[in-house]
Amino acid sequence: MAEFIEAAALAQLRDPGLAPTFPKGLPVLLIKKNGALFALENRCPHLGCPLTLGSLDGDVLTCPCHDWRFDIRSGRFLDAPELGLKIYRTRIAEGKIFVEV
Amino acid sequence: MNVEQRKQALRFLFGPIVDKLGYKFTPVEEDAEFLLEQEVLLEAETGMPYCPCQARGKDRAENMKIVCPCIPFHRRHYDAMKRCWCGLFVHKDVTDPDKLVQFPESAIKEG
Amino acid sequence: MKKVKVYALSTCLWCKKTKRYFEEKKIPFEAVDYDKQDDDCQQKIMEEIKANGGTGSFPFVKIGNSCTQGYNPGEFEKLLEKK
Repeated sequence: MAEFIEAAALAQLRDPGLAPTFPKGLPVLLIKKNGALFALENRCPHLGCPLTLGSLDGDVLTCPCHDWRFDIRSGRFLDAPELGLKIYRTRIAEGKIFVEV
Repeated sequence: MNVEQRKQALRFLFGPIVDKLGYKFTPVEEDAEFLLEQEVLLEAETGMPYCPCQARGKDRAENMKIVCPCIPFHRRHYDAMKRCWCGLFVHKDVTDPDKLVQFPESAIKEG
Repeated sequence: MKKVKVYALSTCLWCKKTKRYFEEKKIPFEAVDYDKQDDDCQQKIMEEIKANGGTGSFPFVKIGNSCTQGYNPGEFEKLLEKK
């Protein structure tokens, strides 16, 4: 059953900024941009690279390994709509970020 | 590096990706084994499992479009051939890849 | 007989099949493995391929004054017979 799990302290995340977290052991990348918070699977569906060191340009996150590009709002892989990153719902409470896993 | 183990790992990683794109590994097992082995050796040499049938250049952005599985970056061309350029992957409905014809992308642009 | 030149990659399955096609037909051909050449030579080969409408996809085959890309026996036969 899905539940919200504490992933990081809100103060930990810069804007814009990326932070790798592991709620319940799952690799989840938190991204803050223009005040908005996004939580995505931190594992490229191509060869499994973590996206923490990826580059963020607008709403596009580029994997550092082989440059696969994803829309951080939907998780969608830009070059094939069938592929993408799982996205997670987030909640902020008491200065903490919670991720639904 | 254990080539056989890495070949198995690439099968494990690539399988679900190409499945979502409507492709599968070529049923010609001998060809699949040869191509995967070339990719493992290219990965050991360059850090990337490049397509064994396409040449790398000096431009990273272009080179990234030939890292296996490169189907997303050549979709129209490969869909027209029902196979990726090196032949590691074929459309799911293909049972005899030897009947398929390899042709350049320019052939579909010209109609 | 028309001059046949096969530009190939040593890692490419279809390049091997192309070479085998000409061997089995007993058609003399020159084969060049692009990936085994030095940088200068690779640059010259790629310029030649691109000037003839090709890309970085191998094999690239020159038959007489015509060129074709990919392993395509039907096309090879057509170009070998072309006047």
